[in-house]
Amino acid sequence: MSRQNTSAYLYILPTFAVLGLFVYFPIIASARLSLNRVAPFGNQEIWVGLGNYTRLLQDPEFWDTIRVSVLMTAGTIVGVGVAVGIAILLSVPMRRLSWLHRSLIFVPVVISSAIAGVLFRLLYNPVVGFFNYWLSLVGIDGPNWLNSRSWALTAVTITVVWRQIGFNVIIALAGLQQIDEQLYEAAKVDGAGVIARVRKITLPLLTPTLFFLLIVNVIISLQTFGEINILTDGGPGRATTNLVYSVFVDAFVGTSFRGFASAQAFLLAILIVVISFVQFRGLGKRVHYG
Amino acid sequence: MSVVGESVDGAVVVGEREIVSKPGRSLVREWPVQVILLVIGFVISLPIIIAVLMSFTPLREIVGRANPQFFPDQWTFENYRTAWTATPFFRFMINSAIQTGVITIFQVVFSILAAYAFAMFSFRGKGFLFGLLIASLMIPFELTFIPNFIMVSNLGWANTYQGLTVPFLASAFGVFMFRQFFMSVPRDLYEAAKIDGASDWFYLWRIMVPLSKGAVAAFGIFSFLGAWNQFLWPLIITNEESMRTAQIGIRFFLINQERATDWGAIMAGSAIVMVPTLLAFLVAQKQLVKGIAASGLKG
Repeated sequence: MSRQNTSAYLYILPTFAVLGLFVYFPIIASARLSLNRVAPFGNQEIWVGLGNYTRLLQDPEFWDTIRVSVLMTAGTIVGVGVAVGIAILLSVPMRRLSWLHRSLIFVPVVISSAIAGVLFRLLYNPVVGFFNYWLSLVGIDGPNWLNSRSWALTAVTITVVWRQIGFNVIIALAGLQQIDEQLYEAAKVDGAGVIARVRKITLPLLTPTLFFLLIVNVIISLQTFGEINILTDGGPGRATTNLVYSVFVDAFVGTSFRGFASAQAFLLAILIVVISFVQFRGLGKRVHYG
Repeated sequence: MSVVGESVDGAVVVGEREIVSKPGRSLVREWPVQVILLVIGFVISLPIIIAVLMSFTPLREIVGRANPQFFPDQWTFENYRTAWTATPFFRFMINSAIQTGVITIFQVVFSILAAYAFAMFSFRGKGFLFGLLIASLMIPFELTFIPNFIMVSNLGWANTYQGLTVPFLASAFGVFMFRQFFMSVPRDLYEAAKIDGASDWFYLWRIMVPLSKGAVAAFGIFSFLGAWNQFLWPLIITNEESMRTAQIGIRFFLINQERATDWGAIMAGSAIVMVPTLLAFLVAQKQLVKGIAASGLKG
């Protein structure tokens, strides 16, 4: 076994060298940064202890970014509901979908956040875009989506939901496929209607899948960046500045406050780690039947 | 829909009610589902369809119409020429190709190596190191990108291919995925190869990897898509136009013409940027969809 010992380390060395330099070490560096005030040109650090964090908690702009993040997450969860609804409505086993069907439904999976931003910026455009034209067909005077304080966040969230929908439908269909069809048959024989079957069989047995989708989508929506950067640049005002965007702006746009930005990044990371951890535990316990 | 004659294990037929317990049989009638599916699919992919159609529409039609319309009255390639010449688009695509190629190849090779050690060897600290690896999957990019930016800049790697690629040459997810696959290969095969005098290195590359072609393809596609679609890191680590990736190029192409936006050219540019991922999707769609579905089932 001793020969295996030494060569094993050589096999794992490249992976751990990269992760060590660009993941593990930066976690510590980030923690240290968050406890310092970094002069704008990054060449001087002043120890401030938890100063960045206390400043953050007292900053109304910080709570605004939290509000934006939470609202965006809520919208994304609605998106999960839509995707699961589509999957249940169809409940077509995936292998029976034709190539064309699969392509049309799942294609957003391969679209980047930047391209999604560009495509939707066109759709939201009040002159050449389609959304307000379609709304006008049903007699609605559409808002100026991206320049409106009250609609910009909705516009960004719709884009994020769109980019996720292919992934969500795939996962939901895969989950549905795991459910034994004989259960439906038995229920049908016992006289259960469609709604009863969905409520009493589909949803309970789909719980692990729903749970997984929920966690993944929450994490993804908390990390939304590209769509915001291209659609609104965090505006108008700070109406679409979520926590990630605030980290980016504070660290890289104009005068940089890397210590302050790192404190926000750390809070975001703790939030995401906690949520991921809940997922691991949930899977360990096998979330069934709610 | 009657399925008389289809006898399946355990299927019970009650009266004229048809019972289909054959796995994979939809209980819904066939053609309405197909139509609904097609409509839903069309709605979902509409933003992409619109973009592609607009990329072939002359600018005067786009801005001159009273209402937006899907199809151009007169098809044109002019937008592609504009996008291609107004910005160094060719350079952006080359940059993206290099960045994506390097990241994908290294991620596949490094992940295979580490996965082999975790699947086949016993060594001190194995459990701890594997835990450390899995823990890194939970670390969001937002936590590490500021120190990484500082470090990579200090190395003088801003605006270089090293700066674009080196931080992403390893993938904990890849190691995890290949390890699962390697562990499912019968151990007897390994013992037999050993008796025949094969080294681990030979066994890995000549037997294990050829057996794992599917896994290599699946992870390779994930890795390719992830790298090609990267946005935040290339945005901050490049500020010279000549080093921009395609995603960043299209961003500046759009942002820089705020007053009179040439939507046709922007959609042409977007179409060019999407082509590699769309091709990968169309060619390897089944593997990709299967891979995603499996990731959901296993958590």
